[in-house]
Amino acid sequence: MKIAVIGTGYVGLVTGVCLSDIGHTVICIDVDQEKVKRLQSGDPIIYEPGLEDLMKKNIEKSRLSFSGNHQTGLAGAEVVYIAVGTPQNHDGSANLNYIEAAATDIAKNITQDTVVVTKSTVPVGTNQHIKEVITVNLVHPVKVTVVSNPEFLREGSAIQDTFSGDRIVIGTDDEQAAYIIEEINQPFGIPVYKTDIASAEMIKYASNAFLATKISFINEIANICEKTGANVDAVAAGMGLDNRIGPKFLSAGLGYGGSCFPKDTNALVQLAGNHEHDFKLLKSVIEVNNNQPLHLFQKAKQRLGDFKGKKIAVLGLAFKPNTDDMREAPSTLLIQQLLEEGANVTAFDPIAIENARRILGDGLTYSESIDETLQDAEATFIVTDWEKVKNIDLATLEQRMKYPIVFDGRNCFALEAVKTANIEYYSMGRSDIANREKLAVGGSNK
Amino acid sequence: MNIVIVGTGYVGLVSGSCFADKGHHVYCVDNNQSKIKDLKNGIIPIYEKGLKSLIDRNTANGHLEFTTSLKDAVGEADFIFIAVGTPEMTNGEANLEYVYHVADELSEVLDDTRYRVIVDKSTVPIGTAYEVRKRIARNIPTAAFDVCSVPEFLKEGSAVHDTLHPDRIVIGTDSEKAQKRLVELHRPFSNQLFVTDIRSAEMIKYASNCFLATKISFINEIANLCDAYGADIKEVAAAMGLDKRISPHFLNAGLGYGGSCFPKDIKALINMADQVDYDATLLKAVQQVNTKQKYRVISHLHNVFDHELAGKKIGILGLAFKPNTDDFRESPSLFIIHELVKQAATVVVYDPVVGHKARLPDKVEIMEEVTSVFDHVDAVVLMTEWPEFIHLPYESLKHKMRTPVVIDGRNALDPVELKNNGFIYHGIGVR
Repeated sequence: MKIAVIGTGYVGLVTGVCLSDIGHTVICIDVDQEKVKRLQSGDPIIYEPGLEDLMKKNIEKSRLSFSGNHQTGLAGAEVVYIAVGTPQNHDGSANLNYIEAAATDIAKNITQDTVVVTKSTVPVGTNQHIKEVITVNLVHPVKVTVVSNPEFLREGSAIQDTFSGDRIVIGTDDEQAAYIIEEINQPFGIPVYKTDIASAEMIKYASNAFLATKISFINEIANICEKTGANVDAVAAGMGLDNRIGPKFLSAGLGYGGSCFPKDTNALVQLAGNHEHDFKLLKSVIEVNNNQPLHLFQKAKQRLGDFKGKKIAVLGLAFKPNTDDMREAPSTLLIQQLLEEGANVTAFDPIAIENARRILGDGLTYSESIDETLQDAEATFIVTDWEKVKNIDLATLEQRMKYPIVFDGRNCFALEAVKTANIEYYSMGRSDIANREKLAVGGSNK
Repeated sequence: MNIVIVGTGYVGLVSGSCFADKGHHVYCVDNNQSKIKDLKNGIIPIYEKGLKSLIDRNTANGHLEFTTSLKDAVGEADFIFIAVGTPEMTNGEANLEYVYHVADELSEVLDDTRYRVIVDKSTVPIGTAYEVRKRIARNIPTAAFDVCSVPEFLKEGSAVHDTLHPDRIVIGTDSEKAQKRLVELHRPFSNQLFVTDIRSAEMIKYASNCFLATKISFINEIANLCDAYGADIKEVAAAMGLDKRISPHFLNAGLGYGGSCFPKDIKALINMADQVDYDATLLKAVQQVNTKQKYRVISHLHNVFDHELAGKKIGILGLAFKPNTDDFRESPSLFIIHELVKQAATVVVYDPVVGHKARLPDKVEIMEEVTSVFDHVDAVVLMTEWPEFIHLPYESLKHKMRTPVVIDGRNALDPVELKNNGFIYHGIGVR
């Protein structure tokens, strides 16, 4: 099958690369000529495990190519995927400018019957709108069918998710188009769920919003555990054994971030608002999430009194491990708060520093070394559960830090292990551990 | 082993008879004399599939006995399960009066001639087991007993099956001795024994129920959005459920949760949070959604009848909060009936099991035949998805109705079939 993909961001690139890998001829289109040049040379630009290798392999086999020109890119394509960004407007609604531009480009350049597949996450009703935009702007008299095929990949495991996802959702009212898209995806061997367009659009938002709800739920339970002496890790494990609940997305911590959950939950609240429906439940999910980094910050402030002039180590910047994505990362809010209160912050991350600097600026020190970050710190915040962070020898904390006081926002260490180390340890939804006499820090000891 | 179960409600009767069925000797104790007399005569106060035959079999072979005397029962006991009710007080807090009463009584009647494991089976706030231990320890040396938490996860309607085949059994204890015995006792029921500390075990029960309630409120909100946007909640839920991180269970949109557990547990957890100065925003939202959700039926009726229900005759199918149970506590059906009466509608109702047990407004007529619910009514509302309601001959029943309107509060009926048969059909988030 000859496929064109419009948009070479996260979703577009991963989709294009994976579709080429299962044997299709794919051309990815982007208006940014510079970007196209880099992509054509095999540089994925974004960090995603496995992506670069797969990309190079398929470029070499001439199944994958890139173009900065819609006319050449769309020529002869039987199926066109729209995978452009839908950034957030100020009111939380999805901005559809790129979607509309892509639809117009398709209308002006296709020369044969085409199935247009929307990969981008778009509000319910958008595919109908895309169809209208294309129909109005069509240059050649060809038949266009629109299919909603929402993307469920996760950053950090996008390739694996594409090849072994739980389901592929195909939303269309055209049987022939549904069949074509099913055929394209057939080599992945993943169950296909066919439905109408509006439901397919809703599935994406509802799924992401539900997972966000699961995260905020366990965080709320963690906050109650903290105050009642239960251990949220044990509670989550016990809950997760219930098949109706399942063990996934039950890790208490600093909350969700990234480019999907925050955006999708906001958009769904907005969608509801358009119909005068107050989606209180989801609003509360967002509220709990926004509060989690501040919760840990407050705990630290209570312990340390103030942050003025104190050297504070932050381990992890990216919103989750195995990604350099800093969008809506809890580290941002936490570090901004620390800087505001006069802390002297050093932050470690193996790959997200460049992106972090763009958001957080130069008011802090960045480091790619954990040891260097911990050196002489008066307190450490664990923000991202990178493998490297989880594998820190607890003795290192005591040796390197000036005062080994740790605020672990990701519950990286078992309490049993911490008890044998000589550190003071505060985590999420579990008992505090202070093994030795609390140290006089800044004269604010209680 | 010798087992004593205190309390003969759902939890007590079902777990008692299941232990007896595994060959243990079980005493079920209740201070309600007439209830014990009934049980001795084979009269079971609750409706639960498979329970009667289980009780009959095990009373016949002497494995299961009933008594009102805790003192007589505990003499030889190795395990004592506290399975009394923890009703909610007006502020949502769990009322522990019965639990503590049992603890105080145990403190009087136990002796230190043998070691006993005392188990909290009732759903109790975090820390209750420690209070129970303190009370018992007034008269008994602490070496002679341990207090543990083994929360119950059975569902009404499939309680026996759930007890015999649980997903997991949670054992909360800080005593190795008690742990060993509890593991041995529960091993035949499940390979998935989860041992943890007492407080976490107590929390697991609340967190699990509250999460499932959250799942229900979530899908109901999505259903309401589907109504607004022309999507179909059944499609949305089915595809969501294929995501292993979500799982397909508890994703049926409808009129919200009811019964004796979810509403009570969520209120209790909110209250527990309040007591430690934590504002449980999310849980409160879940509860609000559930309270509002029932009124979807009323708004559908308003839409159909142009906001005027006075003088309309409405037939209600179902009183129980879910099928296969006679429990109508917090059942959405009761709310709807009261609301309809308030709006001056005439209400007739049928439920295969609850029948006259429910206290309904005087004017509401309880029918003996399901088909009578259709006589000259302006609309029929399905409130409980009993199987017999799903398979009714709607097409022929239509002619008995004044107007062919069906409001399906449980999304249990086939919209296409009903619409093809000339019905005006409204479900919850379905097209």
